[in-house]
Amino acid sequence: MIIAERKTLKELLEMVQGCNRIMILGCRGCVAVCSAGGDKEVSILASALRLGLSRQGKEIEIQERTLVRQCDPEYIDPLNEEASDFDAVLSMACGVGVNFIADRCEDINVLPALNTTFYGANLSSGEWKEMCAGCGACVLHLTGGLCPVARCAKSLSNGPCGGSQGGRCEINPDVPCIWQQIYDKLSRLNRSDEMKNIMPIRDWTQAGHGGPRRRIREDLLP
Amino acid sequence: MKAGSNLENVLRSGAFAVTGELGPPKSGDLELVRKKAKILKGHVDAVNITDCQTAIVRMSSLTAGLIALAEGLEPVMQMTCRDRNRIGMQADILGASALGIKNLLCLTGDHQKFGNHPQAKGVFDMDSIQLLQMVKKMRDDKRFQCGEEIKGSEPNLFLGCAANPFADPFEFRPVRLAKKVEAGADFVQTQIIYNVDKFARFMEMVRDLGVHEKCFILAGVTPPKSLGMARYMKKFVPGLDVTDEVLARLSDSSDQREEGINICVDIIRQVQDIPGVAGVHIMAIEWEEAVPEIVKRAGLDQRPEPKGVEPVLASLDSIEKAVEDARKEVRIEFEEELERAKTEAQASRELVIKEKEKVASEMSDLKKQIEEARTMASQKEAEVQRLTEEIERTRKELEKRQAISTSDLEAPVNAPVAPPAPPVPQGPGPALTDREQRVLESLNLGLQALKEVLGLDDSQFEALKRFLEAEFMLQLAQVAPPVPGRGAPPPPPKVEVPAQEVSTPVEEVVRATPEEQEIEQRPAVRDKEVVNLVAKGNLALHSGDYNGAIDAFEKALSIDAGDEKAKNGLAEAKAALEKELSGVKGPSVKAEPVETSQTLPPCPEDVDEQWWKEKWVIRYTARGNVALMKGDYDTAIAEFKKALSIDPQNEKAKDGLNRAENRQGIYIPSIEAGPRPVEKAKEEKAPVTEEPGPEPQEKEKEKVSTPEPEPEASKAKEEPEKPAPKAEKPRIEISAPAEEGVSDLSVPVLSKEEPSLPERAGDIPEEVYLEACSGVIQSVTLGDGDKAISVGGETALPFYNFEGQMPNPPRVAFEVLDTEPEEWPEVLTKYFSDCLNDPPAWAKKCVDEYNAKCICLSLISTDPNGADASPAEAAEVAQKVVEAVDVPIIFWGCGNAEKDTETLREITGRIGERKVCLGPLTDANYRTLGATAMAFQYPVVASTPIDVNLAKQLNILLENLGVHLDQILMDPSIGAVGYGLEYTYSVMERIRLAALTQQDDKLSCPFICNLGREVWKAKETRLPSDGMLGDQERRGVLMEAITASTLLLAGGELMVMRHPKSVALTEALVEGLL
Repeated sequence: MIIAERKTLKELLEMVQGCNRIMILGCRGCVAVCSAGGDKEVSILASALRLGLSRQGKEIEIQERTLVRQCDPEYIDPLNEEASDFDAVLSMACGVGVNFIADRCEDINVLPALNTTFYGANLSSGEWKEMCAGCGACVLHLTGGLCPVARCAKSLSNGPCGGSQGGRCEINPDVPCIWQQIYDKLSRLNRSDEMKNIMPIRDWTQAGHGGPRRRIREDLLP
Repeated sequence: MKAGSNLENVLRSGAFAVTGELGPPKSGDLELVRKKAKILKGHVDAVNITDCQTAIVRMSSLTAGLIALAEGLEPVMQMTCRDRNRIGMQADILGASALGIKNLLCLTGDHQKFGNHPQAKGVFDMDSIQLLQMVKKMRDDKRFQCGEEIKGSEPNLFLGCAANPFADPFEFRPVRLAKKVEAGADFVQTQIIYNVDKFARFMEMVRDLGVHEKCFILAGVTPPKSLGMARYMKKFVPGLDVTDEVLARLSDSSDQREEGINICVDIIRQVQDIPGVAGVHIMAIEWEEAVPEIVKRAGLDQRPEPKGVEPVLASLDSIEKAVEDARKEVRIEFEEELERAKTEAQASRELVIKEKEKVASEMSDLKKQIEEARTMASQKEAEVQRLTEEIERTRKELEKRQAISTSDLEAPVNAPVAPPAPPVPQGPGPALTDREQRVLESLNLGLQALKEVLGLDDSQFEALKRFLEAEFMLQLAQVAPPVPGRGAPPPPPKVEVPAQEVSTPVEEVVRATPEEQEIEQRPAVRDKEVVNLVAKGNLALHSGDYNGAIDAFEKALSIDAGDEKAKNGLAEAKAALEKELSGVKGPSVKAEPVETSQTLPPCPEDVDEQWWKEKWVIRYTARGNVALMKGDYDTAIAEFKKALSIDPQNEKAKDGLNRAENRQGIYIPSIEAGPRPVEKAKEEKAPVTEEPGPEPQEKEKEKVSTPEPEPEASKAKEEPEKPAPKAEKPRIEISAPAEEGVSDLSVPVLSKEEPSLPERAGDIPEEVYLEACSGVIQSVTLGDGDKAISVGGETALPFYNFEGQMPNPPRVAFEVLDTEPEEWPEVLTKYFSDCLNDPPAWAKKCVDEYNAKCICLSLISTDPNGADASPAEAAEVAQKVVEAVDVPIIFWGCGNAEKDTETLREITGRIGERKVCLGPLTDANYRTLGATAMAFQYPVVASTPIDVNLAKQLNILLENLGVHLDQILMDPSIGAVGYGLEYTYSVMERIRLAALTQQDDKLSCPFICNLGREVWKAKETRLPSDGMLGDQERRGVLMEAITASTLLLAGGELMVMRHPKSVALTEALVEGLL
């Protein structure tokens, strides 16, 4: 799941300066699950903006709306008409939604209400954790399913660095050392010998360093 | 050998390696790196250069490593993966290798979160193990990470990695190390070890994996600098296990640093015993100074000689080293050369010895030849002997013939037949017969041969010839008388008369030799003797033996007083003798005997009469001059008259006569008793001391102009340049009495050189002795109005009037003290006794009575070490002095720079318009006083210790300040005669030459010489009169005058003096020289 969190109100207030009519557009996808951009969050943000603007002595018209997903054209395309009267569309989807609206609705001024943070999992209520970096070259089979690229501070490939102590990462005692975990996991799986293998230098092209990534499935193409 | 680094060499040699750590500065401070490198050099085999450790920006490890390398310390360049991707890292690796870095420690790197740029994007394109792989591939496969081949030089690097035995998971650590070694690590440096037990366990595991055999393991150690540091490391540095024991040791220690070193050394000792440990890596973080001590105490201070530590880029030191090496090489070469040269020298020495021997043998040959020559010479002598005998024989034959002719006397037939005029110079000799002629000719031939053999010169030969001829003729005459006289033998009276005449002077001689008595009785013999003597005399005369000649001629005259030849000869000999004597000894000629009533001796025959006359005129004139010099005027007059009687037009003689009549010496002019023209009027009022005319002898002795008693001798006479001071001798003696000294202060005017230089130089062309100067001395004007004086302005050396101009005469300033002098001798104070405590009156007296042209007011009362009078008091006195006199005034401070500044400023504030001169300005106060002087347009005295450069420097400083050079008088510091005068002279001379001939315009200021104070503080001016040192006053005056005259000749333009008499002398000298 894509994890996102709402930008600060201050930032958003600045963002909508000069607008008289805006639409706050939620998404019932990932951001709704991570409680960043669902219906509820749309209402909250709308109230907060009204409040904030009224404190500045301004009053704008805010319309609240939530799409099923903002990453599919069928939901986005109607906006060309529906939102044409608005000065801005404040999207509460992940970055994908914002980009998609921007791509498909040429005349609409789209603004991001959220910071898209990582691909993570919900550890418990209110806690999400990065699990994947989307690097495009998954090595999880070698590491007991634990990603050193996303979860090691230095994205090490060949075991824990010298800063690993007591299972903690050197950068922060709250951060577990993923390589300790990998070591432990592999040991439990009796695969610890695999740690002796040297993981070769990585190809970062699939991690975005080779340019915007695109995926095509021929069989599904129209 | 993979890279050939020193570290690799040491490790492979099996020696226990020591590496250190050098943290580059957080600046571009090259020196800091050098300093650290210097500390570590020689104590470690290589030094790690950290790569922005703890993610703090520092000088890059590559560049700092190069600096260390340039210092001769092998770097281990650390490289992290944090800041560069593979492109940047490979690029740096290539560069590092190119510049001589041979060790690379591959690290992942501390996370940027720890550093000073936590917002930075960590690159981590790879981890340390992948880095090792990459570099190994570059090195061993000559391929870049991408697989592309490295064309050209691959990076040859000794690869290292880090290992942390204390990080978790502990069991994985040896595995990870193994991975690193497998990836390419050649050596390992561990994290800081405090927990040796744990490290030992780690090593055990490492050994189990066999890793220690595949790489060199260096145990990392760090001396804890303090307990605080140890605690920090324990708490905050991840992967660092600081044991409680270490903490305890530190906390228990009184000297934590010392204990830290001890802990470190102990750990080194312990890890050394652990198998597989190949060395130690000492990380004295920001405590590099501890490393040498640690190494020493650990017994590791004998580091192997570094190998392969050569910077590619040359540092200064390396250049020096190269130069040193080259020098060594050259020295060796030189020594070889020297050796060769020595061998050669030895060989040539032997050769020389051989040569010598050869020469010696040649010499002996030569000697033999000389011997032979001598023998030959003696043979020649024998030949001469033979010839003489032959002559003798001829003579005998002649005699025989004579005898025959005697027997023929009765038959006078022969007489008329005799041929007339033989070539004999003898007056009316008897005519010679044919045969006689032939005999004579053969005699001549014989003589000619004799001359050649004996090597006679012409005159000798002539003499001999004449002698023989005379003899020959005599013998003829003895036979001949009957021919002309046909009667009795030569008349006796003829002989008698001269004998009587001569008998007086040469009586004894005549009496003494019986021979000569005999001669008297035998006229013929006597004649012969006369001719003999004349010839002898001539011979002597020609050979230069004038006395011998005179002797001979006199003898001849004693025999025959009428003999003209003898008379002439005698005269000539005497003349020659006299000429010689007068030429050599001058006056010592015994003139008396020559004194004849006859002024012009008869002219010798073979001499041009005109020439003869001139000769005598010159002689008489010379005699006259000699007499004149002696003071013997009568003789002189007589001699000059004699000269004039021969040549009445002779100028010199006339002049001499004139002088003699006027009782003047030759060239030695009279000194006018009258004073300098200026003082003439006064002179009349106060009559000149009637001194008795000095003894002529004394005058002569001193060769000094003597004072002329009559004041009438006012016609400006020429006098020699130097003797002015000396000439005073007699006067000062007289002036000493307590009566008014002023009238005694007069000094005779010095006459100028009579013949000018070009005249004296004669034919020598001017360019030979003239050397025109290119520079010109500044002209400085002191005072104002018609009393203003200027000094300087010369375009030639002092008094070199023939080379350039000296437009302004050097001047003298009278020194006046602003307070009563304490240490002045009475001989000095007596001239100012009425005004010593009244500076204005004193100054006025100097001007009115002693004709002072300038006053120098010495502000000695202001001296902080003396009376310490306030500037205001001094200024008041100064003001009064200014009001009292109208001549230029110099204010001369006490010499204390600060006080002088105050005093002189105060004075300038009071005196208003008057253009005074301020001094002394030194380097300590030239700014303030220079500014003051500039404001009022006052000239200043720039005073420096006696040194050309200091003088120049002060002038430059003053000029920079805005003071023009024509406002500066230089005081070079004066030494009195006997007290460093020569030093002063030489410095002044050098300054002056620089100004005049080297266009050094910064030295072109005139000199002021404050010499009075120097002279009168000399001991010699203080000692009372005594028999040995003489009169005190004269002594002092002469010392001052001599000092002044010397300084004048060195170029001094303004003299500050004290004694009126010395001033008068000095001024007279200046006048005479200009």
